[in-house]
Amino acid sequence: MITRLGCGAITALLAMLCVGATIGAQGGGGRGGAPRAFDAHDISGFWGLSFDSRRVPPATLLPRITKAMTDLHARRDVHAMRWCNLLGTPFTMDSGTPIDIRQGPTTIIVATENSPAPRYLYLGRKHVSADIYDNTTNGDSVANWEGDTLIVDTVGFHPTRGITSIPGGGFKTDKSHLVERYRLLENGDVLSVTFTWTDSTVFAAPHTYEFRYYRLPSTYEPVSSWPCDPYNETRAKFIGDPAPLTAAAK
Amino acid sequence: MKFAFATAGIIASTLGVVAQPSAQTRPESLQGIERVEGDWVRVDPNGSGDFGGLTSKFVPASLTPQGTAAAEAMRRAQAAPRGPAYNDEKPHDVGQPYIVVAKPCAAGPFGGGALGINPDSGAIHLVVGKGEVIVAPERGGIRHIYMDGRTHPDVSRWTPTGSGHSVGRIDNGELVVDTMGIAPGPVTAGGWRTPETHLVERFVVSPDGQHLTINYRWEDPKIYQKPHEYHYELDRLPAGSYAFEEWCDASDPIEQQSIVPPPQQ
Repeated sequence: MITRLGCGAITALLAMLCVGATIGAQGGGGRGGAPRAFDAHDISGFWGLSFDSRRVPPATLLPRITKAMTDLHARRDVHAMRWCNLLGTPFTMDSGTPIDIRQGPTTIIVATENSPAPRYLYLGRKHVSADIYDNTTNGDSVANWEGDTLIVDTVGFHPTRGITSIPGGGFKTDKSHLVERYRLLENGDVLSVTFTWTDSTVFAAPHTYEFRYYRLPSTYEPVSSWPCDPYNETRAKFIGDPAPLTAAAK
Repeated sequence: MKFAFATAGIIASTLGVVAQPSAQTRPESLQGIERVEGDWVRVDPNGSGDFGGLTSKFVPASLTPQGTAAAEAMRRAQAAPRGPAYNDEKPHDVGQPYIVVAKPCAAGPFGGGALGINPDSGAIHLVVGKGEVIVAPERGGIRHIYMDGRTHPDVSRWTPTGSGHSVGRIDNGELVVDTMGIAPGPVTAGGWRTPETHLVERFVVSPDGQHLTINYRWEDPKIYQKPHEYHYELDRLPAGSYAFEEWCDASDPIEQQSIVPPPQQ
């Protein structure tokens, strides 16, 4: 925590020293080879993960987190997929399809092609009061630019709905806190996102991993309706359902 | 931790650069089509009193014989018995639920972002990004409106979807969207559509930024004797509003049922 606060302040200082933080940095090449401009403060685009896009170390879990607990979450994850439930974050950030990120003046939306529920990253806003917020699979995300890094802070995760397992180990609870840091690299052709999960009931130390997304051509067109039919018996048999619904899992 | 926080705060505030969240931009304060960004929900400007009444005063579509036949076929299909559970007119025993949805949580006719075209009672959320406007209906799905000057694909090479293929442009500071490639289905006020049908929408935000009118114009000489036009009225949700998540678990039997008769006195 000390390190993060210190870095946050330093980042802010550096951001102010770099006058005109909204510069449109000149790219050196880009994949097409031609120099082009990009806005370091706009992550809009179609983005895809490739085989070399993930750097995910194992999480350090609390001793109380047993294999049986993580296995239960894994089984629930399959159940959620089997029944075409909303799968939520972190699934949204690695859904198996490209993601469409559009940054508006007030909101950034992150949409996958195979989930009907996008993420909303609200700019310059405080979290919704926990007194009124019903926890969700994506949680409540607020976003702010610090220099050339977009900091996204998410709380309010639902502890059992959707995919709850976290890359590298561990799982979401209603106490989970996710901080993401988005930065454009390589003249805007690569989007780095570092994810840091903290949860005093799951992790012994903050769990950080990084994805690097490749920018897809701006002419890309998402498939708007990947099929997911919970009543398709052939599909259901293929996936299986190792965690049928119980009252505790609702 | 307190020391670190205080130290960081002192250093930063001394230099006047503490990393505070920037003030939230109010969408109504924006210019041009960015003013459509935000959260919107349909309203009842005619005092209709119920959701079905919202469109009761719309001018009905003037269909060609082909359009009439297609719409009638759909009405017959919708009116067909949906199984024994739906024909059960007997009072149910205590604790025996009335089953009202055979396959809950299936994508159905609202899949593929269809509610981004004609929103129902759920809110819609618009984000105006670089090269694209996204319409996200709260009840699910994504509608992409490309603003980069691209044209529609050849309809013969396009797989129809709930929201079709939409390209937008700015006209007099307003968002105008042309859509084709929508899956066949009914249109508000007695209309019909096929993938060849064109929909032109104009999004008009009121001067105070609090109201949105979406003007619809459906054009298809095979379906309509004349373009079918109507408009929806929406209000901007209050500042600080956020998108709800509509959870529906098809594995939960309770999603199928409506009323469960309670013990009688």
